[in-house]
Amino acid sequence: MTDTSLQSNNAPMMTADGIPLKKSLQMSLRREKLRAFGLVAGPALFILILFVWPIYTLFLKSIDDNLVNDVLPRTMAIYEQWDGQDLPDEEHYEAMFLDLTTAEKLQIGKVSTRMNYAKSGWKSLIKKSNRKFKKLDPNQPLKAQMIDAEKRWGDIEFWLSLGIMKDRVTAGYYWNAVDRTYDSKKNVIMQPENRQVYVMFWKRTLLVSTIVTIACLILAYPVAYLLATLPLRTSNLLMICVLMPFWTSLLVRIVAWMIMLQQQGVLNDSLVGLGIISDDNRLPLMYNFNGTIIVMTQVLLPFMILPLYSVMRGIPPTYMRAAQNLGATPTRAFIRVYMPQTIPGIGAGVILVFIVAIGYFITPELVGGKDGQMIGNQIAYHLRKSLNWGLASAMGVILLVAILTLYWVYDKIVGIDNMRLG
Amino acid sequence: MKLKNVISTAAAVVALSASGVLASDLTVVSWGGGYTASQQKAYGEPWEAKSGKKIHWENYNGGLGEVRTQVESGNVTWDVVDLLPDQIRTGCDEGLFVELPDDILIPTADGKSMDEDLMVPRPNKCAVPQIWWSYQAFYNDGTFEGEQPDTIMDFFDVEKFPGKRGVHTWANAILEMALFADGVAKEDIYATLETEEGADRAFAKLDTIKDHVVFWSSGAKPLELVSSGEVSMSLAYNGRVGGANLNDGTNFVSIWHGQVLEEEWLGIVTGSKNMEAALDFAAFASSPTAQAEQARWINYGPMRTSALNIISAGEPWFNTGVEVLPHMPNRDEVMGDSIVADPDWWADNGDELQERYAAWMGQ
Repeated sequence: MTDTSLQSNNAPMMTADGIPLKKSLQMSLRREKLRAFGLVAGPALFILILFVWPIYTLFLKSIDDNLVNDVLPRTMAIYEQWDGQDLPDEEHYEAMFLDLTTAEKLQIGKVSTRMNYAKSGWKSLIKKSNRKFKKLDPNQPLKAQMIDAEKRWGDIEFWLSLGIMKDRVTAGYYWNAVDRTYDSKKNVIMQPENRQVYVMFWKRTLLVSTIVTIACLILAYPVAYLLATLPLRTSNLLMICVLMPFWTSLLVRIVAWMIMLQQQGVLNDSLVGLGIISDDNRLPLMYNFNGTIIVMTQVLLPFMILPLYSVMRGIPPTYMRAAQNLGATPTRAFIRVYMPQTIPGIGAGVILVFIVAIGYFITPELVGGKDGQMIGNQIAYHLRKSLNWGLASAMGVILLVAILTLYWVYDKIVGIDNMRLG
Repeated sequence: MKLKNVISTAAAVVALSASGVLASDLTVVSWGGGYTASQQKAYGEPWEAKSGKKIHWENYNGGLGEVRTQVESGNVTWDVVDLLPDQIRTGCDEGLFVELPDDILIPTADGKSMDEDLMVPRPNKCAVPQIWWSYQAFYNDGTFEGEQPDTIMDFFDVEKFPGKRGVHTWANAILEMALFADGVAKEDIYATLETEEGADRAFAKLDTIKDHVVFWSSGAKPLELVSSGEVSMSLAYNGRVGGANLNDGTNFVSIWHGQVLEEEWLGIVTGSKNMEAALDFAAFASSPTAQAEQARWINYGPMRTSALNIISAGEPWFNTGVEVLPHMPNRDEVMGDSIVADPDWWADNGDELQERYAAWMGQ
């Protein structure tokens, strides 16, 4: 009896269908958890696949330099032993010969593209060597044979350039993105002057984004104010005027601007017709810096108007009246009472416009001409044409970091809680 | 039950739309506009009739970015791609395109193999020939009074022929033209350009038109710039200029002197899901008759000698009933003053010069 009662005390409590209660509870809890997890799994997966993963791979691409070590293992293994003063010894040539003759053909194609970024000429040197190496005698000293087959093997510059690629992780693409490069000892040096382009593009990108943001703010503020204060019927009509271009295809708007602004365009024709400017002095408003600024401002204007409008709508008109009752002039009341209350809207609009502008690509491509191109155009060029994805990734990462920094600064100064999109 | 119905209907819809995408048996990617149209008429439609398969034509903007992404991700949706000389070289080296077996290539009527028939050797086994095209200068008839420009020197002479100049946003061709206009013999152009002083010389020549340049990046733009009077002369693809004259009755004048000839090839993407059809299409599209047929619709030059012979025997060959040979970039009369671009040289030195050119544009 005591035995059995003891037993029953120790034995787990059972549910009606004979499963231990604890287990049953756990199961139902797990089900709850699974269901909850199932609900967030979709969005989480979405964010993971569409944001986290691409940014992670983008970052990896920008620092990855495994290729040369993988494809030319023998050469790179003994590379450090070379003093870099005179042409390397026989064993280096032999390693290079073995690497190039044993590597897979596709790998050689890829590695030669990579090496050509470090020193122009690698691509054809490797390609031509590959053909000629078949005729060489591996049992004879190879140094003389290789130089004989392709005289560039006797050019120390090529051997020195291998030093740039000796590590598997590189910051080289980041240095390239700001017009710097490695010398053979991996010291950071400036690119030759006539190849310094990217700093100029970065500066211009910042300049364009800043000008466009300021222009948008100046134009949008009165419009948003009108929208928020006019009677509903009129303001609705005005709202449609704001939204119409927003809904119109970007390309259509850009082409419309081309027709308006080019030197033989509507605006210039009118000015010449009215005698304001002479036929020889038509204003260059398109295919240059001006074109980029004008068109981007118009394209991005709604991003400024809408947050401003929604914030202004929430400001009770009684505040202004109260201020004036207390003796403030309308201007003073506007500046001291109304404007401070619109700061969350200004903040949201400025950040939105600036962030969209900094990565802009299509408008500068179409209307930017020679001095209206931005960093986005360079990224597109390296992604699609030059296939230097490392450099493109590095520029993308820099852009991303710049935006995050901006966000952080904004948070420190204004406070992100103060931002209101609507 | 109801939910099941919904699900099965949805599945059916998805399957249907997926099969709608797959309804074409071959995806051919080219540049769009009149060029793609000429390919469709010359050998696209005949191949569809012959094989009973359907071609899906897609446009792209050049570059190997998409192809590389498809091959590396294993999700290959393009089969045949129309390629610039540097693309077929880089792409074949990197394994983005497949090497073609020799026995599928169609010989001439009198039994010459394709390689013997070609005016320029195939860069690798991945390529089958398409066309020759060129960068050339052109202007609108009536732009200049008195003496008319007819050499590339005139393009760089803004004193003699005032007005702005339309130039593309990348370095190819314009650097060769600059050196040629500066008096470098055409055989020495690449050797000169490879040296520091040579490159300086080319850019110094470019500086002479610097304040007069309007840049373009898409092929239709130069025609628009010239016809609107925005520029007085522009560089352009010869097929755009000739095509406008032949089809739309414009009066553009081509300056053949100093034109830079470029090759155009077809390649088959590695991992193509329609490999058999792609091989058959590539062979068909590069046959002498297909090459000749294409010249009925656009004035790009065939790469096979036998195709040129077919055309000259059949003049007037163009679909509107006019002669097409006077609009061809690779006809004998103009070849003497033409520069044939060297894609291998560009593969080596391109990165550096493109950067320098971008710097020059931005100054």
